Amino acid sequence: MRGEEVIASLKEFISDDTLIVSSNGNVSRQAYNFLPQPQVYLRGSMGLPMSIGLGLALAQPEKQVLVITGDGNFLMGLSSMTTIGNYKPANLKIIILDNAIYATTGGQETVSSTVDYLKLLEGFGIQHYGSLNSIKSPSKLLEAFEILLTSKQTAVLHIKLEEDIKNLENIPWQPKKIKNKFMEKI
Amino acid sequence: MIKSIDILNYLSENNFELSTGVPCSYFKELLIELDKSADIQYIAATREDEAVGIACGYYLGKKNCFLIIQNSGLATIGDAFTSLAQLYEIPLLIFVSYRGLEPDKNFPEHVIMGNVTETVLDAYGIPYWNMKGEDWKKILDKALERMNEDSSVVCILVEKGVII
Repeated sequence: MRGEEVIASLKEFISDDTLIVSSNGNVSRQAYNFLPQPQVYLRGSMGLPMSIGLGLALAQPEKQVLVITGDGNFLMGLSSMTTIGNYKPANLKIIILDNAIYATTGGQETVSSTVDYLKLLEGFGIQHYGSLNSIKSPSKLLEAFEILLTSKQTAVLHIKLEEDIKNLENIPWQPKKIKNKFMEKI
Repeated sequence: MIKSIDILNYLSENNFELSTGVPCSYFKELLIELDKSADIQYIAATREDEAVGIACGYYLGKKNCFLIIQNSGLATIGDAFTSLAQLYEIPLLIFVSYRGLEPDKNFPEHVIMGNVTETVLDAYGIPYWNMKGEDWKKILDKALERMNEDSSVVCILVEKGVII
């Protein structure tokens, strides 16, 4: 399954009380195009979506915060997972979309394929985590989303994707508009 | 000299409920006081850019967080400024220890950054104030006013022994 199909199938799980932080590049463009707006669409700050999600989860403990990040972004911000593993806000959920490439910049390989995500997440002290190494059927994916998003603790789902370097159009909103629209909805 | 508890009370009165950063020995007392604080939580970040991410996320959730970092972190933090805090116009107060001046003459690891600290902040276009004496509240008032008016990052430089 490709990243945009995975993101599109999240739609039924997203309510007005779900706050999404999407990583820069194609992931935020997919979130913009396929999920309810507005959300936090990152334009830059590679490596920081998990940190931003942590801050947001601490500020809005009654709401569900969902970080959607590519593997390159996740690996750049890896040390922030130790902070998350330490403070463990129950309302923070993270989806790692792992296509093992920097898709937005032309499909250069990341080093993600060397990582055992289950061991890694366990090592961070994250108690609720899962990994889909292949998506055998759409129902398996929906089941994994359900488990992730109904978890009563910090939870992370790693999903191995098909390679796909098709890039979507740039998000038309300027950063300030993204911020203002997002803050208006809270 | 400024008492840590006085600074924290001031920040709490100005609606800061969270702080994060990476320690510097210049902030040892402040961090001890923060640890005891019932009003302001401290999140120990692993890197300064991560701390900017946490503070920006907290602000997007409509609450205020300040940072405490060493000036060495100004080198790590660049992209978090230019492509997050400044790009999205997120107000952000940062206490930065001013290492590399006279008291650090035997710590060469701080000297180069000490020499360029203000140049770096100027290059980022970040306003800063050196908070030294009894007028510290006026300086913080001014910094917060600027931060809120311009939705900008502002830095407070803190030399050795200023905060006790």
